[in-house]
Amino acid sequence: MNLIKQIDQFATENPAAIVYNYLGETNTYGELQQYSNALAARIQQLDLQPESPIIVYGGQTFEMLVAFMASVKTGHAYIPVDKHSPNERIKLITEIAQPELMIEVDGNTPAIENLKVIHSDEFQAIKHETSSFEFDDNQMVTGDQTFYIIFTSGTTGNPKGVQISHDNLKSFTDWMLSDFGLQAQPKVLAQTPYSFDLSVMDLYPTLLLGGELQVLPREQTEDFKSLFQCLSELTVEVWVSTPSFIEMALLDRNFNQQVHPELTTFMFCGEELTHDVASKLHERFPDAHIFNTYGPTEATVAVTSIEITPSILAMYDRLPIGYFKNDTLGWIELASDNDNTGEIVLSGPSISKGYINNPAKTEQVFKHDQTATYHTGDLGQRKNDGLILYAGRKDFQIKMHGYRIELEEVNHYLNLNENISRAVAVPVTDKNGKVVSLLAYVQLDLTSYLYHDFEVDGLNLKLTDELKFELAKKMMSYMIPQKFVYLDTLPITMNGKIDIKALMREAK
Amino acid sequence: MNVNEIVLDILNGITGTDFSKDMDADIFMSGLVDSMATVELLLELQDKFGIDVPISEFNREDWKSANKIIQKVESLQ
Repeated sequence: MNLIKQIDQFATENPAAIVYNYLGETNTYGELQQYSNALAARIQQLDLQPESPIIVYGGQTFEMLVAFMASVKTGHAYIPVDKHSPNERIKLITEIAQPELMIEVDGNTPAIENLKVIHSDEFQAIKHETSSFEFDDNQMVTGDQTFYIIFTSGTTGNPKGVQISHDNLKSFTDWMLSDFGLQAQPKVLAQTPYSFDLSVMDLYPTLLLGGELQVLPREQTEDFKSLFQCLSELTVEVWVSTPSFIEMALLDRNFNQQVHPELTTFMFCGEELTHDVASKLHERFPDAHIFNTYGPTEATVAVTSIEITPSILAMYDRLPIGYFKNDTLGWIELASDNDNTGEIVLSGPSISKGYINNPAKTEQVFKHDQTATYHTGDLGQRKNDGLILYAGRKDFQIKMHGYRIELEEVNHYLNLNENISRAVAVPVTDKNGKVVSLLAYVQLDLTSYLYHDFEVDGLNLKLTDELKFELAKKMMSYMIPQKFVYLDTLPITMNGKIDIKALMREAK
Repeated sequence: MNVNEIVLDILNGITGTDFSKDMDADIFMSGLVDSMATVELLLELQDKFGIDVPISEFNREDWKSANKIIQKVESLQ
């Protein structure tokens, strides 16, 4: 059955069931249905081109869900854009995806030519209109039509919009509902911003099971005091987050099975789950099920999984990423001179149709024959029983705290800045080989105004602070390197390029 | 190693920056120590000094420089 229809049917039968709990403020499935129908009716009046995408701009409030549902009910894919995004990025996304409408759930966006906007105050008013919207099977997003588009880092500074269809999403949620022991109407943690596809792992399985999302918004997680206050009040049964986030939660000794007996399932994705973190979590929650999963956005959130049991912990120092889900064929493409490590290639019903309005980049990594195939750029090894071990990247893409970052994109933005003559970012890794921060080597422009503040042999924290402030106008904050090192000249290779490898050795 | 040296060593390990000449420099300024690095910092301090940082009362102001961290560690020991 169509996913949208299934969610709507549950709402019709259980209008009073709670779907969203935002720090104690709750909303029901009935409200989700009523509000999204009202907004859908308004969208229909706008006479948009069939299937043209809609930007949904905001934070982590209930209204985001309302806007997502209204979009797909009227046959339009939604593009979630986080309200912390710089204006430049919103403009770029608009240029690439060519949407006709933006729904501003929360916050203010720059005016963009030829883009209709439903502003947040208008949105609040529409919500309560009694709509004549009739759920129309022929109009909602279905089959191969795009359901959502998530923008991810691109090497040239142009983000790429990964298009995920209804059937891609269905392949993912079928697997989620069958392989992870999730019960009906679960209470699930929703911590990840919607612009990041890990959020799909909590959102749609919960909606399809008639469950409740308990939200831990970003504002609360940035300050330890409020984070631990909120954590203690959560009553979730299923935890979905990056490994980095659970590491933060584990700082609090009260985060354990005695205090949270209801919390029995943990699901991780977005970056490597280290042995350290998994074993610490297992000590705190000895009876809980801990799942490690792996997958690129292009294959719909995740495609491999494994339960991290005590025996797995005993067997592996570097934890495996698991087995491919049933409907997906995955293999390792070995380079001729290499032992058994090669690129992970994926084929199956959850592989995306490609990047929106970017056939060149799509052709580089996708093949669309009978089934879609995607070259991940991730390296892996396959054990005899089909278990996959992760072995890094073949290019300059990194995963840090769950964020996927192309170092070339970071460099692109660094070099755009007028204070910088040349710069290059390199990853800093911990003892497990996990990327913990970015370091920028910067050659300042001697004529720039910031150069006057430069102190030889000083920490130059204030200068760095100002530089970061400038950079934040164009770059997503998670892409800005933590540490800046100022050099008179950057090392150069024989053919005149910045010697990244030499700098990476130094960063270690 | 004394408390000073250990704290400076931990800070250097996490940020790759030597704070020995700038013991009052704000480690949070310029985002050098972000929230994930703060997690690392507290884990290391708990580990190396066997102290229990009362995390639910954590206030960045009290931990914002090498000197402040040393003071905090000494008061918790």
